[in-house]
Amino acid sequence: MDAPPDFRQQLLAAIPRLRRYARSLVFDEQVAADLVQTALLKALAHWQQFDRRREMIVWLVGIAHNAHRDERRRQSRVDVVDPDEAALKADGRRAEAGHDVGLRIDLLAALRCLPDEQRQVLLLVGVEQFSYAECADALGIPIGTVMSRLSRGRAALRSLLEGGTPAPGPVLRRVV
Amino acid sequence: MKEIDDSLLNAWLDGELPADQRDRVAAWLETHPEEAQRVRGWAADRDALHARLEPMEHEPVPDELRRLVMRQGGPRPLRWLMAAAMASSFVLGGAAGAALTWHAERGGGVQAASDGGWPQRAALAHSVYVPEVRHPVEVDIVNASAADQPAQEAHLAAWLTKRLSVPVKLFDLRAQGFELVGGRLLPDANGAGRAAPGAQLMYQAVGGVQRVTVYLRKPETDTPAAFRYEQQGDLGLFYWVEGAAGRETGYALVGALPKERLLELATAIYRQGEKAN
Repeated sequence: MDAPPDFRQQLLAAIPRLRRYARSLVFDEQVAADLVQTALLKALAHWQQFDRRREMIVWLVGIAHNAHRDERRRQSRVDVVDPDEAALKADGRRAEAGHDVGLRIDLLAALRCLPDEQRQVLLLVGVEQFSYAECADALGIPIGTVMSRLSRGRAALRSLLEGGTPAPGPVLRRVV
Repeated sequence: MKEIDDSLLNAWLDGELPADQRDRVAAWLETHPEEAQRVRGWAADRDALHARLEPMEHEPVPDELRRLVMRQGGPRPLRWLMAAAMASSFVLGGAAGAALTWHAERGGGVQAASDGGWPQRAALAHSVYVPEVRHPVEVDIVNASAADQPAQEAHLAAWLTKRLSVPVKLFDLRAQGFELVGGRLLPDANGAGRAAPGAQLMYQAVGGVQRVTVYLRKPETDTPAAFRYEQQGDLGLFYWVEGAAGRETGYALVGALPKERLLELATAIYRQGEKAN
């Protein structure tokens, strides 16, 4: 059975936030676009599993999260990223942001330096304003884990903004 | 008592603690200025991140995603609406400002309802409210937060349904590139001169300034159910009557758009209205 119109409308309304989350999470526009599209197709295919008492965006982020994790696993099996190339790409991203000035650039650059797991909770709680319970629900982890990741993520972000040493970027960690 | 650690401080910052713990953490921070300073740092980063990424929420949905999500199961036959569309293609380029009704071109014998009738009032209401910058609508949907929008929409539909005594549905024209600004109640009277309010729903082009309005009312019992087009200066007007006997709703779509574009919107409204009935 095809997804009903009201479901489609809810889905449509959630797209801007889903895109924001995906683009802030993976940075690469093309990868983010693929992730959004995959999540929407899965949502349309499994619309009957959507519990209407839940927030559409929480459900969608959960779908996107699983798709992203599967994709990363698949990638890690099939190709090897050249660390130099990855570092160049990361530098390129920072340079792009450098057209502008001020704190917010440092903020986004710092966000990019965090591990995926910390960036996810910082984005979901801080930007999407999910409750800890919604965040745990979407990511499929216990609330205690949300809290510890958030706590480490915020401390790491602050330390980066205060001129701490950037941790190796997420791209590099993916190699191993 | 739970020990105060960074996780607890973060939960306090995010409003996730029950009242007694919240007060305890607040009191503790009063006496620990350095820790309080750290918490303020986290709060500043959190709020800065939110402020930096907030505008992305208002970016228009790319067309390919819109199509992906709104693609319907199968084409629905549109009977006379499609017939009207085809007929209208023969009269494009007709004299500007002349009142063109579909039935007139087709030589039909249906009485035109435009002389001072409700479609005329729909056009008038359109001209009055569309240029409004600050108060285009009474119930504002587009400026409500994403969290409040569903409730605002439900309120608007329920309120207008009650006042018009016809089922009012808020049409979703996002697939056609228009978003709902909101709606208002309008004074109107029935043929017997008694109050019979109308409603105006206003839509705005996503990322643009072009606005169209949909005027809804309980029609006069003798209003023919035909689908008509009229041109009044820059304004195009599609109007028709829909619904089961006793529950008819009169619709007038008004906008300064090319006829084909307006027809596309009218088609979407007709489809959605048909589904609701």
